[in-house]
Amino acid sequence: MTARAGVLAFLLVAVAGLAVVPLFASGYHVTFIIQVFMWMALAGSWNLISGFTGYVSFGHVAFFGVGAYTGALLITKAGWHWLPAGVAGAAPAAALALVIGYPCLRLKGPYFAIAMLGLNEVVRALVSYFEGFTGGGSGLSLPPILSIAPVYYAMGGTAAAVTLLTYRIITSQFGLRLLSIREDEVAAEVMGINTARLKLYAFLLSAAFPGIVGGFYAWYASHVEPLSVFPLLTTITMIIMCLFGGKGTVFGPVLGAGLLSVFQELVWARFLFVHQAIFGALIVGVVLLIPRGILGVLQQRYQLPRSI
Amino acid sequence: MTTVHITGSMLLQLVVSGLLAGGLYALVALGLSLIFGVMRVINVAHGTLLMLGAYTTYWLFTLTGLNPFVSLVVSMPVLFVVGVVLQRLFVHRVVEAPELSSLLLTFGISIFIANVAMLAWSADYRSVEFLTGSFLLGPIALSKPRLVSFVVALGLTGLAFLFLHRTKTGKAIRATSQHRDVAQVCGINVRRIDLITFGLGAGLAGAGGSLVSVMFAVYPEMGQVYVFKSFLVIVLGGAGNYPGAFFGGLLLGLVEGLASLFLTAQLSEVIAYVLLVIVLLVRPTGLLGGRT
Repeated sequence: MTARAGVLAFLLVAVAGLAVVPLFASGYHVTFIIQVFMWMALAGSWNLISGFTGYVSFGHVAFFGVGAYTGALLITKAGWHWLPAGVAGAAPAAALALVIGYPCLRLKGPYFAIAMLGLNEVVRALVSYFEGFTGGGSGLSLPPILSIAPVYYAMGGTAAAVTLLTYRIITSQFGLRLLSIREDEVAAEVMGINTARLKLYAFLLSAAFPGIVGGFYAWYASHVEPLSVFPLLTTITMIIMCLFGGKGTVFGPVLGAGLLSVFQELVWARFLFVHQAIFGALIVGVVLLIPRGILGVLQQRYQLPRSI
Repeated sequence: MTTVHITGSMLLQLVVSGLLAGGLYALVALGLSLIFGVMRVINVAHGTLLMLGAYTTYWLFTLTGLNPFVSLVVSMPVLFVVGVVLQRLFVHRVVEAPELSSLLLTFGISIFIANVAMLAWSADYRSVEFLTGSFLLGPIALSKPRLVSFVVALGLTGLAFLFLHRTKTGKAIRATSQHRDVAQVCGINVRRIDLITFGLGAGLAGAGGSLVSVMFAVYPEMGQVYVFKSFLVIVLGGAGNYPGAFFGGLLLGLVEGLASLFLTAQLSEVIAYVLLVIVLLVRPTGLLGGRT
């Protein structure tokens, strides 16, 4: 059996297994897996811009937060069903990415990373400022949800969509071009690649999914407020999950999200600052010791195909 | 919104307070700019180092009653050592690596230090109540802590320029930032220059922290905004242009001061952000041009 068939068989079993979980598992477990799906989708999204092109996004949670507010507003003020309202979160997130990405991604160097570092605070300040619309600091309350199973499938579907898209990208010319930007942007340009445009495309895709996840999150959490949907910790978590699992790979973010979610749930969640300090130390450790992440190391050691 | 009558003295007041804040921005940004110039590393932990400087001053003031401005004599060397240690242990490994590595590495360091600070000192807001009140200069009120901080920041920036231009080590730093490889060929030990530069940058951040502590609250996450603002100052002045960073700092202070006429304090960060995006769109090499 080839590695490819093996992975495919494993995936089919895993997806089938996950699909039946809500039928018999306890609410606690379903809730936990929803969280894992959420992190898979977020870490996978971060991977699309930062893992592929090497341009670090320090403010990805801004897209999540914008999506969450969009979902909440469409549900409470426009009376939308939660599913289309969640998916609609992609539009303003991508629009925001366009506004920031257009000026910053035309330039090489750290401009993009620093602009993203400030973005979250700015969006949060704006959301708090337009109180009449967004409820200001106290936020917006949504109707309580009656069943979490639909959210489970929606979140799982989003995680699967991000992973599938990553696979499609990594096996395409677009993906190779993105990777060439990461390895040597000047050389990529010399080869005739329009790096500014490709970086922007990758960034738009990478911003749209957190918008959707945020939209679903708003419905699932039944409440959005600036502090709950724009925490720096969310950005930190998606970065470390992607790095730990393996940036620039298809299943790295999936692996990282799965492993670190379990650790988070079992050990760290009780101590907030310890938890964040561990994440900080982990980022330092991964960058210095295993820059390719777990999957990258496995790929190299066992000569696995790049598309895993 | 009620109409506000803008008088000449009000405008002057805002310009003056803006410039006072700008002096501090220039000092902090100079540290970031030096490190970036020499190593092409954006030190995302710069604001966290500033926070450590602020706590150094806070504890010295609270425990021993030491004058916060005198405590610079402690906070700068302490942060210099912290910077040298960070460079020696971590940063030197990513100097030649792709940008992603150094950005993420210093980001990780920053998260780690800030959260250890929260564990050690809690997230409470603390303040150094040393100088209060204002000097009255005709129609303008000059807040005493801000004025003294401005003068000290100006003095330190001047000393840093003197160091960079008059001493052999300073010249070696500038040479390395102009061309690393050529500097090495000319016999400059660039590894050593890296160490000194990171220490110096950290020391300037620490000095900034000491000065901030007499004006604003001290808490573990206080440094966050300064990384972004310092970078904005560098972009305004032109990357690699050290005197440019000084004018960039004053300009940012001025813009923020004037913006407070029209906007609430809540949105002052938005102004800095919009400024960055506009400059990157229109004149990415900085208002004063790039490296000189």
